[in-house]
Amino acid sequence: MWRGIETILRGRDPREAWLFTQRFCGVCTTVHAIASVRAVEDALKLEVPLNAQYIRNLILIAHALHDHIVHFYHLSALDFVDVATIPEADPAKASSIAESLSEWSGNSKPEMKKVQDTIKGLLGSGQLGIFAHGYWGHPAMKLPPEANLLAVAHYLQALDVQRKANQVVGILGGKTPHIQNMAVGGVQNAINLDASAALSMDRIYMMKDLFDEVVPFVQQVYFNDACAVAGFYADWFDIGEGVTNYLSVPDLPTDTASTTFDLPGGMIFDGKVAGMKPISGARDEAWRKGVTEDLTHGWYEGEGAQHPWQGTTKPNHTDFQDDGKYSWVKAPRFEGKPMQVGPLASVLNAYAAGHEPTRRWTDLALSKASAIAGKTITVDKLHSTMGRYVARAVRCAVLSELALRHWELLVKNVTGGDTDVYNVPTFPTRPVEGVGIHEAPRGTLSHWVVADSGVITNYQAVVPTTWNASPRDAHDVPGPYEAALVGTPVADAERPLELLRTVHSFDPCMACACHTLDVEGRTLATVKVL
Amino acid sequence: MSRAGLDLARAPIAVIGLGNVLLGDDGFGPFVVDVLGSQWTFGDEVELIDAGTPGLGLATYVSGRETLILLDTVAATGSPGELRLYRGEELRALPTKPRVSPHDPALGEALAMTALAGSAPREVLLLGVIPESTAMGTELSEPVRRAAALAGELVPRWISRAGGQLTARSGRHFGDVWWTRPVRAHVARS
Repeated sequence: MWRGIETILRGRDPREAWLFTQRFCGVCTTVHAIASVRAVEDALKLEVPLNAQYIRNLILIAHALHDHIVHFYHLSALDFVDVATIPEADPAKASSIAESLSEWSGNSKPEMKKVQDTIKGLLGSGQLGIFAHGYWGHPAMKLPPEANLLAVAHYLQALDVQRKANQVVGILGGKTPHIQNMAVGGVQNAINLDASAALSMDRIYMMKDLFDEVVPFVQQVYFNDACAVAGFYADWFDIGEGVTNYLSVPDLPTDTASTTFDLPGGMIFDGKVAGMKPISGARDEAWRKGVTEDLTHGWYEGEGAQHPWQGTTKPNHTDFQDDGKYSWVKAPRFEGKPMQVGPLASVLNAYAAGHEPTRRWTDLALSKASAIAGKTITVDKLHSTMGRYVARAVRCAVLSELALRHWELLVKNVTGGDTDVYNVPTFPTRPVEGVGIHEAPRGTLSHWVVADSGVITNYQAVVPTTWNASPRDAHDVPGPYEAALVGTPVADAERPLELLRTVHSFDPCMACACHTLDVEGRTLATVKVL
Repeated sequence: MSRAGLDLARAPIAVIGLGNVLLGDDGFGPFVVDVLGSQWTFGDEVELIDAGTPGLGLATYVSGRETLILLDTVAATGSPGELRLYRGEELRALPTKPRVSPHDPALGEALAMTALAGSAPREVLLLGVIPESTAMGTELSEPVRRAAALAGELVPRWISRAGGQLTARSGRHFGDVWWTRPVRAHVARS
């Protein structure tokens, strides 16, 4: 993804790499900070204190909650929600449907009426503002007016809720969007339960108050809305399967050596969920050896596959060549195969591993969607565009439970008297290689560092979107987007809403990757190539 | 300032630097934010934010302000280093596009979203600079560095006019930001 980052990092102190890597992408800042310090710690075989693990985990969870909420409501809900039908909705009916599903306080009749009036005003003014580019009246829109009204009410509430999740990142990280508290060897949060400037009991409870608002929204609102969309659009469980090899890494370490995790990772090939092979951690040999990036169809010098520790990034831009080089994205492969990454991969691997919260939330989501669809939707239907939306909601619900668990773990540890947050790194006078892993909101992220005598000599980041948006490799095998878009039906070629649904289902990080082409080669959107 | 980025209380005046510090002149916004923070001490009613490239996340930082001052690079006709000032009405008229990812720049959307939620800033100013180069690199070009110095003089006046308290500091040099410092690799041998 961030092509050429090694030119900025080479020669620098590995302890400061995270400051630069968190600037790769303005949306995924914290994930690149944490993957970076983990990579250097792995190279040094440096353990981190428990408090640091919990603090990092809480930052990662809060960031993911924020990110998944924004993805659903502010990026992709309008692919399924038709704002133009809202004036026809019955606010009382919308309210009673929602109140029958959850105790969330934002579903009252006056609230629904207020939102309906706001939207009526907006539609009447002809100034649609944020909704100007929705696909109103599109034949592929299917929600009843009341569901559309509920979704827009929650869209507005989500603006406030995602900000609260982000505040947790701010409390622990010192600032958002660029956290200040990371360190190779731990974190820089001084823990002093009585002091106001440090991580005090006040601040720890402030975090709890914020989670207490975010968690119910995730479990009672986002989760239900995602299930409703899945039920009304159940045909999307048959569309957009793409590549059914899945990769996810374990995350939320619960010991100082990062060998036990609260979220399992693994790999699945050819959709065979039952045959999942677990990944035990960053030191798993199959994982360390399995990752390569193929340059054959990327605009870079060279052909064939490179391991990230030996990776190079020398741009070689040619025109678009159908059968030659056609993308700024390198093609990551695992054991030579393209892999789908993201919440679906993470959920399927955890489901196969028998991870209790993942199983419980997945089964609940499928039963809710099935009830609305009037037919049984099973786990094998998750290999689809809608499967990716459902899996993201499941993952978010699981993470919301783990937020409270890791908050409790931190409180228990610090009130027990442990205030350690940092182990001092020392660098050997020989080359060492490390990989930092993180199961980010968009999927498996890995940073690969080589350092010699305390100086970076190579640095590569293999990011989720390059796995999913990867071009063909030397064997002409397409990546997940390309495979998923083939066969996505389009009702109106001028308004390719269906293609957006499939692309959005992957939650692309296109600032880090590059541009997307539809199957006819028409550019859906062009973004700055980094 | 002590609460910058913590979002525990919404400061009514926010100065937000936008741009990627690893892309040459694109780092203008964060650079000016650093200049302001190193030359002035601000009251609690002022928040300085190096927001980087938050995409759709910009709405979070825009919401609930009285006065919003944005610093960014702009694509406009002119010479590198020229500053352009835009006001709320012009910015609200920015076209929004169907988005593929949450990462595309989203100023128009952030303003429209907060307007819909009833938390839009009352006054919006955007000070933009025309970049010379946004190729990968951690340095500003000379013209944009000069523009940053000028911006460092203009913005405090606007903050003051909006009711923000500020006091000049001494001791730090202009533009000594971490990302432009030369490589000074540390060697800690075991």
